[in-house]
Amino acid sequence: MNRLHLTPNFRGWTAIVLHRPHAAADAVLRQLERLGIAAHRVWSELGPEDAGADVVFFDADMGYDDQFPWPAGQAPMPLIALLGSEAPGRVQWALTQGADAHLLKPIGSGGVFSSLVIAERSYHARERLTREVEDLKGRLARRPQVARAMVMLMMSEQIDETAAFRRLREIAMASRRTIEDAAETLIENRNHPDVSRHRA
Amino acid sequence: MTAVVAYPIGILYSTSGPYAVLGKDGLDGALTALAEVNEDPRYPFRLRPEIGDPGGAIERYERCADAMLREQQVRHVVGATTSWSRKEIIPVAERHGGLLWYACPYEGFETNDRVIYLGACPNQHIVPLFDFVLPRFGTDAYLVGSNYIWGWETNRIARELVSACGGRVLGERYLPLGSTEVERIIHEIRQKRPSFVLNNLIGPSSYAFLANYRRLADADPAFDPLRRPVLSCNLTEAELDLVGAAGVGHLATAIYFESLPSAENAAFLERVRARHGAERRISAFYVASYLAVRMLAEAIREAGTDDPDAVLAIVTTRSFPSPMGEVAIDRRTNHAALTPYLGRIAADRRFEILTGAGRPVAPDPYLVDYDPGALRAVVSGGRGTKPPLQLVST
Repeated sequence: MNRLHLTPNFRGWTAIVLHRPHAAADAVLRQLERLGIAAHRVWSELGPEDAGADVVFFDADMGYDDQFPWPAGQAPMPLIALLGSEAPGRVQWALTQGADAHLLKPIGSGGVFSSLVIAERSYHARERLTREVEDLKGRLARRPQVARAMVMLMMSEQIDETAAFRRLREIAMASRRTIEDAAETLIENRNHPDVSRHRA
Repeated sequence: MTAVVAYPIGILYSTSGPYAVLGKDGLDGALTALAEVNEDPRYPFRLRPEIGDPGGAIERYERCADAMLREQQVRHVVGATTSWSRKEIIPVAERHGGLLWYACPYEGFETNDRVIYLGACPNQHIVPLFDFVLPRFGTDAYLVGSNYIWGWETNRIARELVSACGGRVLGERYLPLGSTEVERIIHEIRQKRPSFVLNNLIGPSSYAFLANYRRLADADPAFDPLRRPVLSCNLTEAELDLVGAAGVGHLATAIYFESLPSAENAAFLERVRARHGAERRISAFYVASYLAVRMLAEAIREAGTDDPDAVLAIVTTRSFPSPMGEVAIDRRTNHAALTPYLGRIAADRRFEILTGAGRPVAPDPYLVDYDPGALRAVVSGGRGTKPPLQLVST
């Protein structure tokens, strides 16, 4: 079944509301309780123990950089900004922290559920993309090794470049590694023939 | 002579327009309760109805509600049938610190501080309905609905439940509000032969669908309601006249059926029949709206004021007797704990009650405590599980 049809459920989550004592914080806490989320309010700085929370709601009006125990934009969980002022400087600051969603003050009886769904979805999408980009960057950086391994195969097996690439892909698939990893092993084995015998 | 205090009560239902039948039941339920309170010497005040009819036009709700709260000193509004109209009234209630008493089943995912929810939310309608139907009729569903939020969301939950049980959704079709062009849908149902059809159509679309499904059953006995029923979460006694014989044998869930076998309900029906005549069928819409006014009057009496916050504090701390049994409002969500029943349409424009939950089901408007996997165990006959709906002793 398509995951998009599933009812989002946050039961068992923990949340932190980073806000001075205020009706807005109380409204968020009340809504979180209805969703089965254990939450508490913190002001003015998060401690290392707070890094385990599943989500953090933070005040964008009186917030400042040193409140967070992680570098700006690198929160290990979804962040939701609580905006009173829509002054561009404050919105920008919330974005710099890595807000995945926001709620506009005053906060009443609604908004928390949809902001959680949006924040969780965009946090994970961003995380997945970051991982993919890192992986692709790593593979791109090893393009010279792939070229070298192909030349080695063309020479040692007297084949053309298409066949050499196919051969390299077969080696990678047989050992369930990426083409880049397989290429590095080939090069390494030629440099250290003793090892290659053991690995064969 | 000292004048008796008269508290104005807004009653805001569309009693004209496309879903007038439901609005009429809501209005009559509220007016009956209001008359009973005004005739009862135990209440040292009167309730004065301020009636508004937006005629089913969405853009008129906001204005109607605003006139009530601003010009007529109304602090409590009983009304709204559709979710769209409820969403129009809420900002007005927030602005003026009023309270909306909403008495219809809806799709959940809302807990507004200015609303008391007396209708069923999904864990009190579609979830118990499927608990009963899937183990008995099978898990291949066909979903139809009118093209707006009620149908979309109820069908989404249905899809989730069916998939969790390893069933399939063989079709999902929507009709524009008011459309009666159901032939293509009936044709597809005949081809796909689902275990059941979930009908979230409203008004004339629903009547046309049931009439055509009856013709299909006449032509092909495989579609007899006893084998392949059409299910509904919002079809009540209010519409059985319009559905006619085509409805007989199909199933619906509700938090009240006229045929509920209890002393409170018998006494209630005697009173409303004296008012409307014996032919009038009484629906969950009527009773929930009636209950709203009775609860409100009781809370005003106890608080000595119609101040919405004082009323809210009383309403959310104890239970109230009603034709559907004792009803309590959950303090955290402002929703009622309600007992869902499953009824089968009988030939006399009533529902024959097949089963009921046996006790009130706590409201769970965000489906926090719901587990689609639990239904799978029931469907596959797992040990230690049993359907939450039990037979009602009659």
